[in-house]
Amino acid sequence: MSTATEHQNLDARVPDGPIDQKWTRCKNEMKLVSPNNKRKYDIIVVGTGLAGASAAASLGELGYNVKAFCYQDSPRRAHSIAAQGGINAAKNYPNDGDSVWRLFYDTVKGGDFRARESNVYRLAEVSGNIIDQCVAQGVPFAREYGGTLANRTFGGAQVSRTFYCRGQTGQQLLLGAYSALMRQVAAGKVELFPRREMLDLVVVEGNARGIVCRNMVTGEIETHAAHAVLLCTGGYGNAYYLSTNAKGCNVTAAWRCHKRGAYFANPCYTQIHPTCIPVKGAYQSKLTLMSESLRNDGRVWVPKDVNDSRPPSEIPEEDRDYYLERRYPAFGNMVPRDVASRAAKERCDAGFGVGETGLAVYLDFKLAIAEQGRDAIEAKYGNLFHMYKKITDEDPYQVPMRIYPAVHYAMGGLWVDYHLESTVPGLFVLGEANFSDHGANRLGASALMQGLADGYFVAPYTVGHHLASRSLSSVTTAHPKFKEIAVEARNRIERLLSVNGNRTTDDIHRQLGQIMWDNCGMARNAQGLAAAIEQIRNLRDEFWQNVKILGTGEELNQSLEHAGRLADFLEFGELLAQDALHREESCGGHFREEHQTEDNEARRDDEHFCYAAAWEFQGDDTDEKLHKEPLRFNEVELTTRSYK
Amino acid sequence: MTNPAKKRLSLHLRIWRQSRTDEAGEFRDYQLQDISPDMSFLEMLDILNQQLIEQGEAPVAFDHDCREGICGTCGMMINGQAHGPDHETTTCQLHMRHFNDGDTIIIEPWRARAFPVLRDLIVNRSAFDRIIQAGGYVSIKTGQAPEGNANLIPQQHQEGSLDAAACIGCGACVAACKNASAMLFTAAKVSHFVQLPQGAPERTKRVLAMINQHDEEGFGACTNTSECEAACPAAVSVSHIARLNREYLKAMLTATD
Amino acid sequence: MNWLMNALSSSVGRKFVMALTGLFLCLFLVIHLAGNLLLYVGPETYGNYAHALHEQKAFLLLSQVLLYSAFLLHIFLAFRLTASNVTARFVSYRKKASKRDDRVVASVVAPEAWMFRSGAIVLLFLIVHLTDFKFEFGWGEVLAGQTPYGKAGVILRDFGRAIIYALGSVALGVHVSHGLASAFQSLGVSHPKYNGCVKWSSVAFGWIVAVGFASFPVIWALTAAPPSQTQPATHAQPASQVQPDAPHTHALPI
Repeated sequence: MSTATEHQNLDARVPDGPIDQKWTRCKNEMKLVSPNNKRKYDIIVVGTGLAGASAAASLGELGYNVKAFCYQDSPRRAHSIAAQGGINAAKNYPNDGDSVWRLFYDTVKGGDFRARESNVYRLAEVSGNIIDQCVAQGVPFAREYGGTLANRTFGGAQVSRTFYCRGQTGQQLLLGAYSALMRQVAAGKVELFPRREMLDLVVVEGNARGIVCRNMVTGEIETHAAHAVLLCTGGYGNAYYLSTNAKGCNVTAAWRCHKRGAYFANPCYTQIHPTCIPVKGAYQSKLTLMSESLRNDGRVWVPKDVNDSRPPSEIPEEDRDYYLERRYPAFGNMVPRDVASRAAKERCDAGFGVGETGLAVYLDFKLAIAEQGRDAIEAKYGNLFHMYKKITDEDPYQVPMRIYPAVHYAMGGLWVDYHLESTVPGLFVLGEANFSDHGANRLGASALMQGLADGYFVAPYTVGHHLASRSLSSVTTAHPKFKEIAVEARNRIERLLSVNGNRTTDDIHRQLGQIMWDNCGMARNAQGLAAAIEQIRNLRDEFWQNVKILGTGEELNQSLEHAGRLADFLEFGELLAQDALHREESCGGHFREEHQTEDNEARRDDEHFCYAAAWEFQGDDTDEKLHKEPLRFNEVELTTRSYK
Repeated sequence: MTNPAKKRLSLHLRIWRQSRTDEAGEFRDYQLQDISPDMSFLEMLDILNQQLIEQGEAPVAFDHDCREGICGTCGMMINGQAHGPDHETTTCQLHMRHFNDGDTIIIEPWRARAFPVLRDLIVNRSAFDRIIQAGGYVSIKTGQAPEGNANLIPQQHQEGSLDAAACIGCGACVAACKNASAMLFTAAKVSHFVQLPQGAPERTKRVLAMINQHDEEGFGACTNTSECEAACPAAVSVSHIARLNREYLKAMLTATD
Repeated sequence: MNWLMNALSSSVGRKFVMALTGLFLCLFLVIHLAGNLLLYVGPETYGNYAHALHEQKAFLLLSQVLLYSAFLLHIFLAFRLTASNVTARFVSYRKKASKRDDRVVASVVAPEAWMFRSGAIVLLFLIVHLTDFKFEFGWGEVLAGQTPYGKAGVILRDFGRAIIYALGSVALGVHVSHGLASAFQSLGVSHPKYNGCVKWSSVAFGWIVAVGFASFPVIWALTAAPPSQTQPATHAQPASQVQPDAPHTHALPI
């Protein structure tokens, strides 16, 4: 397929000056809304995860009128809650030499030099404030015996900078943001709209001025007007059907905004997490992550002989291939996520995979238990072992775990400038939904940091600047544009319901997931990607001709909800493949088989691809237009990652 | 309870069907064949729903999201037990190996006046949000926070606080309680904050306001049967209810407004 | 005092009142049982105890006022709480099963599931008990001129009464076996170090109350003669109020 490629400079509005002065300077130069005027402004926040809840609460505290929307029954259920490991911050409490600069550097390097330097630096800069804020909210972070905050180490860093609450850090941080949000709801500054699905963005006179959403209980199509819209709707991992995302996670809000003018950046950067519980059968609905920390003590292996069908306990040491230790002697089992995932795939593709499906490798704790004792391992990983046993009915103390990579996180997202504003003025995008901070690969414990940085410490300033610096006319939901888009949304629902074919949404979604996983998964090539685009288009046609949705639009209808989301995944999936096809290099989570070294390592092409690819929607049957934001690295040197 | 033979299961399901809040519901019976014991309970319901859609019958509506036991969205009464027979488990983490071939499984929504049924097995739990709104927070604005280590917190207090904060807000405590009391939920939040210095300034106001809201929502009173604790997927202990009671007693006697 | 009434009328406040009145009533049970055990010592000791008690007029009045208030509050709140608890469920389950795995008995017969019903049985028993011993209603001339000891003998040897008293005592035991520990929990007295002890003591107290009080109707009904005449009374503890030469009255201990 042909892609219209154009070189156009996107203005990222990055302030001049030394990198450690940029954010201060930006804040100093931004226009302010006076306290008395803040109550004259309405702000819509879509999504109530870490980014959304923190932004809505902070904006409410400032005095704006905020409306917060989420598809869940309560803001507390957003999928940020599932993050296990922790949150990074450059506090340097352990006195091991950490600094804002080091956190910045690790994040840029971990992202394989595909993130915007200035954004990442700001992220590192405000990371300490996040910890302070969360502690003040009553987040019970792990403590040392002396009562000070504790830290642990995490992948991709040589310092201890990860703050945590057992294996439930995301939950505790979200409950902190949620409680701040609830406080504003009680104060009347935030109005809550749970069980609402955002269906479209309303752009009036070039500015984002409201949304159209569906009340998922009554089916009513609602319109809401505001002076700014904040999209905090998470990632698109469910395009692959099976992922570690929650079942409800979707790309609809972001995709609808994309179709209204917001550029979509780097959709091909998806993170495949190496340690997930493998797929059991065709009925599988969801994949469960086992924390990366398991690789600290677990050894990854497969049998040396393709035909070895013995149970793992009967396979002697000499017949085992500890392939990570063999290929990467320096880092061994602790190589980064993308490297570990690809290595597992390589072994399984070569036929060495284990388990019923052959799509799994062993993660073995035998040596660790022998050396450290069962109690020590239980103290470290007891809850994870318990969870594994609950799901698989196998005891990892006795038999090695079986693991396989799974889709986990979306580094790509809507393109935003330094203000986190998209190409639609007044539309801000926060957290996983934007593309800005993780480049082509995200380090562990950085997603929570980014969501809260955006919501607590960036958006409250930059949204104010938007309100103060632009003259926004008075727009209410009576404006014809709202009526027009609400009718479009209703018609779309009617169209979905009127297909009345033979295939369920689950069935079609699974097929889309298989196409995505096979062709846009851990390793991609031009031929497969081109084929995927073709297959997705066909499946999209099949969907609109043959999907079966029972019931009406005027009731609680979960099939209809799923169908709407799936329809957007079927459009978005093509863009993901297209982006992957155009990026003729391997970097981070994007591995092109054509671009690898002799020993199968990723080969980046900084000369031609050191840019963020921002795609512009041109119409339903027209190719998307590519805009390139060049990435300039003034502070760090572009190097090749090596873990040998 | 565990099905040792890994035999595929035939099941008889008796499920509560109700199309909307203001309409009467009823139990309907369904047969399912060839269910793998490795399936999760919700995957079993997914299969049922595929079959129902193919037959032209409305699929069973049930709440679910993360399917890894942390978001608290899923929840149903399974043979009279909140989240089914397994302990410290949400419905999404319950697996079919806990059932036997030929079993009849009765599936009902959480039943409480404060949790009206929206459809089939989905209930409205926004009463929980309102209890939190009444005082389940620390009044601190973004940007006001002191240095994280400004307050030293003994590890024991932090751990005790986290034990309470582990609550996922699923509503199993209400469902399992013979009085449909939300005391464990409310106590978990009160106990979370009261064990931390950050929660101290508002402890009096918080406990009075949250209990007041709890009662206004129409939840029952606690009669110390400990059924909530047994049903809780996050292992929140009834000792937090005792702490809530202490806090309430203190607040009742000392509140000045 | 509005604040107090408001606080006490909440779901937690009501439980405080239930717990405090319950604990007070448990204290009364201890005294009452100790007094009754003097029946096993013999007519004279028991009579002396009864007489001594009735000499303390001010104390008796005060304790009766307190006792009746506690009873009434406890009963009133039991109805209020139960009514609101039943409303809170609204629609009952088709099937309900316990998830507690520390149960000794099935959940349907567990004391905590029966608090209202066991309480109601106790209330009925209490009415019978008061009409018999306090008001001597329905006994005609049979009880006239009897010593307290003799009166107890007459009433307890009535077969119907014996059954009512035995069942009432068991219901009371069941009630307090959960009630005592529950009162501690309601008042916030809970600590992992002592919770086991409190629970165990509560069950033990339930057994003592049930067996202790039920022993009188059972033994009286089974034996033609009062047990004190068939066994030596050396094991009974002396009560401080006992005054050996006090004349018998027809009044009974509370």
